[in-house]
Amino acid sequence: MRKCSLFIFLVYAIGFGQNKQVLYDFAGLPQTLLLNPGAEVENKFHIGLPLFSQVSAQGGFTGFSAYDIFADNGIDINDKIKAAVNKYGTAEFVAFNQQLEVLSGGFRLPNNDYLSFGFYEEVDFLAKIPRDMVDLFYEGNTVIDRRYSIKKLAARAEMVGVLHAGLSKKINEKWNLGARAKIYSGVFNINSKSNSGSFYTEEGTQNMYRQHLDNVNFLMQTSGIFFHDGEEIDVSYVKSKLLFGGNLGVGVDLGFTHHYSKQWTITGSILDFGFINNSKNVESFLYKGDYQVEGVQLSFDPDNPEDYWSDLKDDFDNSILSDTLYKSYISFRPVKLNGSASYSFGRKYDDCRFLIDRGLYVNKMGFQLFSTVGAVHSYVAGTLFFERWINKHLQTKLTYTVDPYSFSNVGLGLSTHIGIVNLYVTADNLLSLNNIYNAKSASFQMGINFIFKDKN
Amino acid sequence: MKNIKIKKIAVTALVILSLMGCTKDIDFNQLDDANIHTAFISTLIYLNLTAPDFLNDFNQEIRVTSDFIEPPITDETKPYLEKVEFTVITKNTFNRNFKLSITFYDAFGAPIYVLQPIINVPENSSELTTIIEIPKADIHFIYNTRYFGFTILLSPSTDGSVILISDTSKFDLKSSAKLFFNYRKI
Repeated sequence: MRKCSLFIFLVYAIGFGQNKQVLYDFAGLPQTLLLNPGAEVENKFHIGLPLFSQVSAQGGFTGFSAYDIFADNGIDINDKIKAAVNKYGTAEFVAFNQQLEVLSGGFRLPNNDYLSFGFYEEVDFLAKIPRDMVDLFYEGNTVIDRRYSIKKLAARAEMVGVLHAGLSKKINEKWNLGARAKIYSGVFNINSKSNSGSFYTEEGTQNMYRQHLDNVNFLMQTSGIFFHDGEEIDVSYVKSKLLFGGNLGVGVDLGFTHHYSKQWTITGSILDFGFINNSKNVESFLYKGDYQVEGVQLSFDPDNPEDYWSDLKDDFDNSILSDTLYKSYISFRPVKLNGSASYSFGRKYDDCRFLIDRGLYVNKMGFQLFSTVGAVHSYVAGTLFFERWINKHLQTKLTYTVDPYSFSNVGLGLSTHIGIVNLYVTADNLLSLNNIYNAKSASFQMGINFIFKDKN
Repeated sequence: MKNIKIKKIAVTALVILSLMGCTKDIDFNQLDDANIHTAFISTLIYLNLTAPDFLNDFNQEIRVTSDFIEPPITDETKPYLEKVEFTVITKNTFNRNFKLSITFYDAFGAPIYVLQPIINVPENSSELTTIIEIPKADIHFIYNTRYFGFTILLSPSTDGSVILISDTSKFDLKSSAKLFFNYRKI
């Protein structure tokens, strides 16, 4: 049964962490300023339709797709699960990112700088799951001396409200620089990284087996997850935390656009270089130590009955430090790096072959790099793109991206300008549209802006 | 002319992409048939018993001796646990036979299940391995158990001899459990 389900494609598969390769430097959209504060915009001023100026969701899982497991192809699901487990890498990760721009605006200052500002809400989740944990669940621990390590186990999740203001400044004909200041208000945060430790079973001396928890060092920090003062989580709670009632932090974005020559342009940006001080409703869990056990040695001494289980538990508690911490902590935002080199070509002529605008090229092609750097996980994605003005109302961008999810990620962006109204839609992994369940990742952004340009 | 061509290509691409917005056959109901069979091994009890362990304060033989363990057992794994297999390795240099029985007791101290077979340890026996299985039908007894009782029965000697305090013989026992789970949709 074939179902047309573009919607499922858009919402399925928890997408790819924050690489907005189609939106980056696209069509002079105001939202490109959020990806590169040094981007050039030609607007006199703009305002985004509240709540609809940018709706964005991205997600993905590098391990396997829904189709790998649920394909109706006559193969037993258990064989498909086994195949998926067999091809699982050393560690795979699952990511989800969602952004909703609540307010967005900007205007050109008298000195020709462009000031943009706004407020958006963001949910970000990333978990890195080591193969050892999958094997332990799937196969059990019957392989003697096999170590199941949590070294690659890491996760972060957070929900933040971000108030921001940035300036894009034209330095000269070649350089445009920009910076954006951000104030973060965290609703919740979960952070677990730099974990270590392994579990293994070996042949014992006193007993058949000796089981070990070796060099365990696990820390999971949380804020806004556990409550002790009767606070209830509802919409008003989330709103109040998003609007600066949460854990506060600051950050900065920096970016540039450099016209190397008339047709060659280089851009770059660093985003979310900042931190949040988590001090409200903090509860963190620490486990540290070594433990080994060969079993319980029964003494068969009725005169001195022993509480074996209690002794075992005490021994465990003495060996593995288990602590709950209520101390505030700093969480760093995952830093994102963008860069591009592009070549513009193709002059725009009218029907009588008169050059319409000497400075305007209708085509642009180039290469983009994206990287996110964080303690939980870092990765790089590369994109080839082609951008074109179809006509004065429609601009398009086609991208081909290689990332940890796929070597065949094709994306498309459309931006229309009709009067002052600008509507844009971007999505990637379009090749998976013929079988959306086979996509390991998906992302889309869409929004509506009202853009006012200089009449001249 | 060139622009018109590009527009046509763009529109065609969009139409194709829209038509491609489909799924191949997929069946989420297969989840009902998914089974993940997993086995975990756990070390259990061990014994290193010598002559004094079978003698009372007057150095008289104790024919029956018992000990108990009271581990907390939760119901979380109950739907998925399908079988438990105990492996018991014994070694006995005493000139006497032993029998070891393992009994499950409920919260009222009543015996509700006895592992079968009872482990028979012949006199002067080298390493002997006994496998004991709790089948699926009996798994529920585990979750009704408050504590496990271990009872050693010392069989009378055939020649009338008794264990002396000076006897250097040993009765060693090692054990492990293998728990078989079947994770599936409940």
